[in-house]
Amino acid sequence: MPSGALLFQSVILGLLLGGLYALLAAGLTLYFGIMRVVMIAHSAFLILAAYLAWFTHERLGIDPLLSMVVTVPLFFAAGVLMQRGLLSRLRPMTLTMMSVLLTFAIAVLIEGLLGYAFTGTQRRIQLGYGSASIGLFGARIAVVKLIAFGLAAVALLALYLLMKKTKFGWALRATIQQPDAARLVGIDTEKIAGYGFGLGLATAAIGGTALSLDTTIYPSLHWHWIGPLMAIIVVGGLGSVPGAAAAALLLGLMQSLLQIPMGTTWAQTIFYLALFATLAFRPQGFFGGRLAQRF
Amino acid sequence: MPSASDTVTAPGAAPAPPGPAAGRPRLGRVLTIAAVVALAAAVLAFPGLAPNPYILSAGIVVLNYAVLSTSWNFVGGFTGYISLGHGALAGLGGYGTGLLVTKAGLPSLAALVLAMLLVALIAVPIGFAALRVRGASFVIVSIALVLIMLLVFQSWASVTGGSRGLVVPRPFPDLLRPEHHRVFYYLYAGLLALALGVWWLIDRSRFGLGLKAIREDEDKAEALGTPTFAYKLVVFVVSAAFTALSGGLYALWFGDLDPVFQFSILTGSYMVLMALLGGVRNLFGPLVGALVVGTALEFFKGSFGNTPLHLVATGVLLGLVVMFMPDGVLPALRNLFARFDRTRQSSIREVSAAELRDQRLQSTGGKA
Repeated sequence: MPSGALLFQSVILGLLLGGLYALLAAGLTLYFGIMRVVMIAHSAFLILAAYLAWFTHERLGIDPLLSMVVTVPLFFAAGVLMQRGLLSRLRPMTLTMMSVLLTFAIAVLIEGLLGYAFTGTQRRIQLGYGSASIGLFGARIAVVKLIAFGLAAVALLALYLLMKKTKFGWALRATIQQPDAARLVGIDTEKIAGYGFGLGLATAAIGGTALSLDTTIYPSLHWHWIGPLMAIIVVGGLGSVPGAAAAALLLGLMQSLLQIPMGTTWAQTIFYLALFATLAFRPQGFFGGRLAQRF
Repeated sequence: MPSASDTVTAPGAAPAPPGPAAGRPRLGRVLTIAAVVALAAAVLAFPGLAPNPYILSAGIVVLNYAVLSTSWNFVGGFTGYISLGHGALAGLGGYGTGLLVTKAGLPSLAALVLAMLLVALIAVPIGFAALRVRGASFVIVSIALVLIMLLVFQSWASVTGGSRGLVVPRPFPDLLRPEHHRVFYYLYAGLLALALGVWWLIDRSRFGLGLKAIREDEDKAEALGTPTFAYKLVVFVVSAAFTALSGGLYALWFGDLDPVFQFSILTGSYMVLMALLGGVRNLFGPLVGALVVGTALEFFKGSFGNTPLHLVATGVLLGLVVMFMPDGVLPALRNLFARFDRTRQSSIREVSAAELRDQRLQSTGGKA
């Protein structure tokens, strides 16, 4: 039986990891809500942002967090362009399948370009405060993990406020819920859908920067993220943001706790087990999600 | 190469105008048969023409791709469900065969068949989880499958050999290398013929009709009494069995398995790319796609080695096909022929019901 301090530390680390998962899953849920698109390239953009953060630190000598000044608007624009220029031009009849293939192609493209530009070497940011940690009831938590969680939490809160309190948020939610009715009341749903995509990709920029702080990155890393993230959105019920957040925290916590008896590699299987169990027994997901029934 | 698939692209099209595929009895059929015969002759004559064993082994790799993407097309072409995880099924077939030979001491052929049956058995629960819901979840499960298998086969080193790889003894130890290649080339050609034959049979059967109804409109198919779930599951298992056979044959031929290559997400994406490029509704679509993409891949590997540019090229090509040619090369070629076929030339463009429906949906911008 592991000691209480170890358990406590695992719980804290699991929740911190879950926060990052929640932010990224929120992006995936946005895309799915807007266009019923499963965006495979989400985690590839995540790794791209992590590489850009590493690049700013390594080559320009600036704090990696500052790279967000560039990457967030850049990714927002990329998201808008991707939705307007590529995804919205696919045939509506086969949109779900073809969009998966298209975003898959983009993911492979990004992986290839990253490998070409930065080689396959593993990269890691060495920060002045990288090894600092805080003691909390016998648990030691790295400061960078707290920063990453803080970033994710702030971004999620900002996303929540944007969706609930602003006029744009109303329009976006209306577009997701009832596109025809939204058009009737004068919402330019196509433009809003594009902005929604940009917003989703912007979460990948923030998540990638947070990830780069304490993770070793390499071009094919995104496959290790897309699996868990897709499991999270299915368990949460496709299209439900609170569902995705709850599933993210829960699965992140379980992964962290299972690492004690099983080791890091086997602990990852919890995501896939949860994915299969959900689809076999409760295909609409465990946390509601009105859209999930049919997809 | 018109197949029965084409005629049902628009199930609700009662007064549909005779499409270019329906009314070209003589020229079209003759051209099709001539092309098929030429293709078969070229495939069979290749080992005699190949200047050296390396070229012959490249030919085997291309045939392997052809079998894989034809197997993929059982699911992708008939039901419209796109699986990115068939690479995992091929890998399982390969490792199953390899492990049965090395650990259980079975003869190679028995191991191959048993591995196929095992993979078909495994495909049942996978299909059960993946096919209960529509579209998106299926793709998610298919990708997850590759990632899980990679994880398991890399970590479970005591059985699978892990990253050190698994060496599979050759089935014909007394054959020289070129002879060995030649035998496997014909084995692959036979498997390809078998897969194409089964696809052709399903295409013309009531079962195939049900599957295509699922592709066109799953709700309507279900309302008309098609047992959609059972049909999808059966065809998924058939597809898995063929994929596993191809993977197992590869294990016996190549003799060395590594989880990174056996359970690579790229294998699955090559299958999709090839089938889509050739045309998923055509019997020979995946084969044509495999000939084009597989040859290009082997050529690039020979000239430039393995670089990240492989990934870039695959991504760009797949994106282009999805954006501009989702129906594949073969239908595009047929349209080209139809344009030169002067007997049917008219100034009025013919539009199928499916295209009309698409246009209407697009003009309203609605979500289907």
